[in-house]
Amino acid sequence: MPLPKCWWAGPAEYPNSRPETFRDPCIFVYLRSLHLRHFRNYRDQGITFDAPKTILVGENAQGKTNLLEAVELLATLRSRRASRDRELVYQEEHQAQIAATVERLGVAHELVMELRSSGRRSLKVDGHVLRRQADFLGQVNAVVFSSLDLELVRGAPEARRNWLDGVLLQLEPVYLGLVEQYRQILKQRNALLKQDPKDSVPLTQATAGDQLPQMAFWDAQLATTGSRIMRRRARLLQRLQPLAAHWHRVISGGRETLTLTYRPQVPLPDPQASPAVIQAQFLAEIRTKAAAEHSLGSSLVGPHRDEVELCINGVAARAYGSQGQQRTLVLALKLAELELIEQVVRDPPLLLLDDVLAELDLHRQNQLLEAIQERVQTLVTTTHLGSFDAGWLKAAQILQVQGGQLFPDKTGDGIP
Amino acid sequence: MYTRPLARLIEELQRLPGIGSKTAQRLALHLINRPAGEIEALAKALLEAKQTVRHCSICFNWSAEDPCEICRSPQRDPSLWCVVADVKDLMAMERTREFKGLYHVLGGLISPMNGIGVDQLHIRELVARVAREKPQELIFAISPSVEGEVTMHVVKDYLKPVAPTLRMTRLAFGLPMGSELEYADEVTLARALEARQEL
Repeated sequence: MPLPKCWWAGPAEYPNSRPETFRDPCIFVYLRSLHLRHFRNYRDQGITFDAPKTILVGENAQGKTNLLEAVELLATLRSRRASRDRELVYQEEHQAQIAATVERLGVAHELVMELRSSGRRSLKVDGHVLRRQADFLGQVNAVVFSSLDLELVRGAPEARRNWLDGVLLQLEPVYLGLVEQYRQILKQRNALLKQDPKDSVPLTQATAGDQLPQMAFWDAQLATTGSRIMRRRARLLQRLQPLAAHWHRVISGGRETLTLTYRPQVPLPDPQASPAVIQAQFLAEIRTKAAAEHSLGSSLVGPHRDEVELCINGVAARAYGSQGQQRTLVLALKLAELELIEQVVRDPPLLLLDDVLAELDLHRQNQLLEAIQERVQTLVTTTHLGSFDAGWLKAAQILQVQGGQLFPDKTGDGIP
Repeated sequence: MYTRPLARLIEELQRLPGIGSKTAQRLALHLINRPAGEIEALAKALLEAKQTVRHCSICFNWSAEDPCEICRSPQRDPSLWCVVADVKDLMAMERTREFKGLYHVLGGLISPMNGIGVDQLHIRELVARVAREKPQELIFAISPSVEGEVTMHVVKDYLKPVAPTLRMTRLAFGLPMGSELEYADEVTLARALEARQEL
């Protein structure tokens, strides 16, 4: 299959629907500069990005990934490597700062995120303190591809749920509130399951005429919020499926067909079903699992136990894929994510490739380069430049990372 | 650093909600500067409030008299009650000067995580009071949180058998008055969209 030059001029199912102005470079969100203070192993380091592609070269544990992590935090407010903000702050300091200049439509904006070891964060845009964290989402969008993402194929369902949620958080601002609400209901419901058996008797055993046990109301909350999450996840997968299948076909040379299937823990006969139908299904599922939930003291029903099935030619990728095939699959998922964010937000997100580009063979490196062209600002980390395709090294800004400091690449042309 | 009595005062102040060590210091240094009479009045007010203010035995508002001023007032409409989680919320409703009915303070919200269930709140008292006094409408003025939702539905469930015809309503979700639509947060806007009204 011939490669599309760029994806809006791709195969028939991706009609050329984008306005011409979209190619105007000044419309893109561009990360101009980044300044890290007391963040991870950085004391005080600024960096200006002067090319669409930046390659960070360095030995292990010098701070390459930390730099990408800072950008990921700006985009998603989350880090996949730290469970508490304390871990993000330079040892013996109390406060870290990530400052960035982002250019939108040619206008520069200052973003500042302050992280404290106490866990309190403050976020500023152009000097204004934001009252709500959610307002920061969308200032920068990013797609991250790191070696951790191979967990998407190999790992537990949680990895795939986190990926879906990460994409939804960037696309649908309401989703953050839904996720937080669901988490709170789960915590409360689990606490109730563990305590007073009087309050938590399963509905079916409650005697008629009595007050309903408190659990019935937590069930209703779980079903209402849970089904909202399920509908949004189902809708997202419907949109990602054709994009991921397309990229997978392109990268694998047309030999393999990728399918993504949403497998919600509460069976969803029809993803278009009305909220009432899904909620009824949800409550029915809670009734069948009631005994098990009570003996375990934790909630077994709901989207916190959803799964996304990844199949290549109808076979589960987890069992079947070779290393190379798994990388191809993850790359296809990431390109689908990138394309969807670009479609919805109308700006290509930043692409952060952490230690994965050099692992791809030259063919796949080329596919990736074709896909992102010059439109997508890309930050790449690697320990060695040797296995890079010349197309990547050409016109890239190359920086050496050493002990939390950045230096211009001494080798000049970037080839050691 | 500080002389002992001053240090102790700072320690005591620091235990108050919303007061950190710096604020406690500032307050203590301010207090020590005031005339003795003023400080005596403050100390007396504290003690007197603590000694005389009790829960109203009907609605659980704080009051030095029992029943409280609101429950005794002949100007109040005894057929319309407002159910709130906390006295703070009662005060917020009173500030509107629009509500002319009576109150019932639950004393919190259901939260299994914190061991708060039906028996820790004034829910059974509300049920008995409704059965006795037979109001026409209960307005639930409860913050829209997960715990608030569950509490409202539990209370409603308890009231159903004793007052099958009682009208129960809740405050609407919506946009703050005088606010700009463009500045509304997405969750509020989404809920306002769900609860839209006929024009």
